[in-house]
Amino acid sequence: MREDIRKIQEMMEAAEYVTDAPVATSVHLAMRLRKPLLIEGPAGVGKTEVAKVMARVLGTNLIRLQCYEGLDVSTALYEWNYQKQLLHIKLGEASHNNRAVSEQEHEIFSEPFLLRRPLLQAITQESQAPVLLVDECDRTDEEFEAFMLEVFSEWQVTIPEIGTIKATHPPHVILTSNRTRELSDALRRRCLYLWIDYPTPDKELRIIARKVPGINQRLAREIAKFMETLRQVRLAKVPGVAETLDWAQALASLHADHIDDALVAETLGCVLKDVDDMKRFRAEVAKTGLATFLPAAAS
Amino acid sequence: MPRDLAAAVARFATLLRRSGLPVTLVEVTDAVRALDHLDLGDRHELYLGLRAIFVTRPEEVPPFDRCFDAFWRIAPDGDDSSGFIPAPAIEDPTGASVVKSDQKKEALALDSWGEEEAEEAGDPLSVPLASEAEALVHQDFATFGADQLDDLLKLTVKIARRLAHRMSRRRRPRKRRGRVDLRRTLRANLTKGDLIDLRFRERKRKKVRLVLLCDVSGSMDLYSRFLLQFLFALQSVFGRVETFIFSTRLTRISELLRGRSYRQVLRRLTDVRDWSGGTKIGESLAQFNREWPHLVDRRTIVIVLSDGWDTGEPDVLATELMRIKRRAARVIWLNPLLGNPSYEPLTRGMAAALPLIDDFAAGHNLAALRDLAGKLHL
Repeated sequence: MREDIRKIQEMMEAAEYVTDAPVATSVHLAMRLRKPLLIEGPAGVGKTEVAKVMARVLGTNLIRLQCYEGLDVSTALYEWNYQKQLLHIKLGEASHNNRAVSEQEHEIFSEPFLLRRPLLQAITQESQAPVLLVDECDRTDEEFEAFMLEVFSEWQVTIPEIGTIKATHPPHVILTSNRTRELSDALRRRCLYLWIDYPTPDKELRIIARKVPGINQRLAREIAKFMETLRQVRLAKVPGVAETLDWAQALASLHADHIDDALVAETLGCVLKDVDDMKRFRAEVAKTGLATFLPAAAS
Repeated sequence: MPRDLAAAVARFATLLRRSGLPVTLVEVTDAVRALDHLDLGDRHELYLGLRAIFVTRPEEVPPFDRCFDAFWRIAPDGDDSSGFIPAPAIEDPTGASVVKSDQKKEALALDSWGEEEAEEAGDPLSVPLASEAEALVHQDFATFGADQLDDLLKLTVKIARRLAHRMSRRRRPRKRRGRVDLRRTLRANLTKGDLIDLRFRERKRKKVRLVLLCDVSGSMDLYSRFLLQFLFALQSVFGRVETFIFSTRLTRISELLRGRSYRQVLRRLTDVRDWSGGTKIGESLAQFNREWPHLVDRRTIVIVLSDGWDTGEPDVLATELMRIKRRAARVIWLNPLLGNPSYEPLTRGMAAALPLIDDFAAGHNLAALRDLAGKLHL
């Protein structure tokens, strides 16, 4: 393995993010080739976390653009501070200085009255390239996607009243998507791609150990195995890593050292968040017994 | 960088293209650049790096893996760490032979869907006379001969296009004036000293989304194809159209229908479809709920096309349909048998589904599809 990739992996681990070769390699290439990295995967597998950790590893700012339906350019890029502009005009009237309209206009449409939204912030960082996280970008519409593509290819934006602003340090871009909408081929082809799936029991065990320090070893192993089996049951809402950690935290604070029926019954709400799923799980346990959800009783 | 390595990447890209990955030139350049940043002695690292570049969606991983394994073979003396050698000739590792579509008469007729666009430019459609067309519109799809299906499909598209035009122009009266557009208000009032003349901004219009679940078992296949053809010609009206077909299991074909000709899609469909088996509607809906729950929200209309002959448990069908109904804006069930005046929805599956359906319609001829279009708004 290449030294830089190992280093990234180590730094990510040091930043409390349990990772593996695919993630580290993708992040490495995204940084080297200066390309956006598109991360897809089920909810709750730590897609967003990659951007946060990347910012920490690079020692730079994280700028987050949370996408939602109806997100438009004025919320994503810039907007004028209308309240401030109005106040300015009013104050000008109060002091009776009759200046030309054009002069006044020039004044209120200038930098001090500009509200920088995430995209503009991302390209106007002074010291170094930030990490720009475009979170859940599948939630916006095609028009906005096209707009983002435009920004990503030029790294400059034009504000009619001010002029063109070119990025001093083009940001590192991470996009995440839950696949609620299929992103356009144009966007996909512009990005590096990473699919993060639910963790393997081994990786999940490492995550638990990292995030819930002091947890009983046996308990942690049982939780990891339990989650792996549970995700194979046909559930409407498959629990993610966040659920695992909630549950591990809950069990640890109950001073449990292993999983049993009573404990599962009491704390199931940490993991399953749908009545039908709970029913289905109970039916499964009634059929096969809790033992199938736990590691084989060796050592 | 060794020049032959760059050439190898280019040949690898060709192989990927042949296996159906739409690889662009930029990606090839990126891959060559990436070689500088990867440990070429580490085959797994090379694999991960190239995958990050060439693969753009999870479905592309299996074909990529096959190509990678075939192309970047390990040299026989496996210990040599500089060891993989590009395979000299390009062969197709997927072994994908084109499946001959020899199924049923309609399959042949439907093959020409893809060409419909091209023909339209030069040769004007030979549309039947008005009265004749009107008769066609009310005739059940299943009663047409194979030779007529072609014309009928063209007519379907024509009607759908006209509808799309009308639907996109139709504006319902605005209940609200939208938000005050401060930017334009301010500009308009610069000389007035106060905000007298307010400017408004219309709210961003949100489009309806569709999820289509089409039964393709037995006779339903023909109706499903007409429905698909009709709705795809209407596509621009909707925010998103997700398409699934099912018989004994469910397959998502939205991706196949995007940017490819129908001919290609049909070719793949013959692999997917289970011609012999019965229909498992409940199971198929369950699979939909399990794998694609996020595709349904309060602005999504779900359309199921099926005759309701379910070989599974009606309870499963009811439960799963309920799950969909709870999240969707509306559930429309199209049952072509409804076109027959003497039909009564007595099959167990249909009976279980009926109480959960918002609209129950036929969709068996062009007139029925036209009516359907009128219902596809929130």
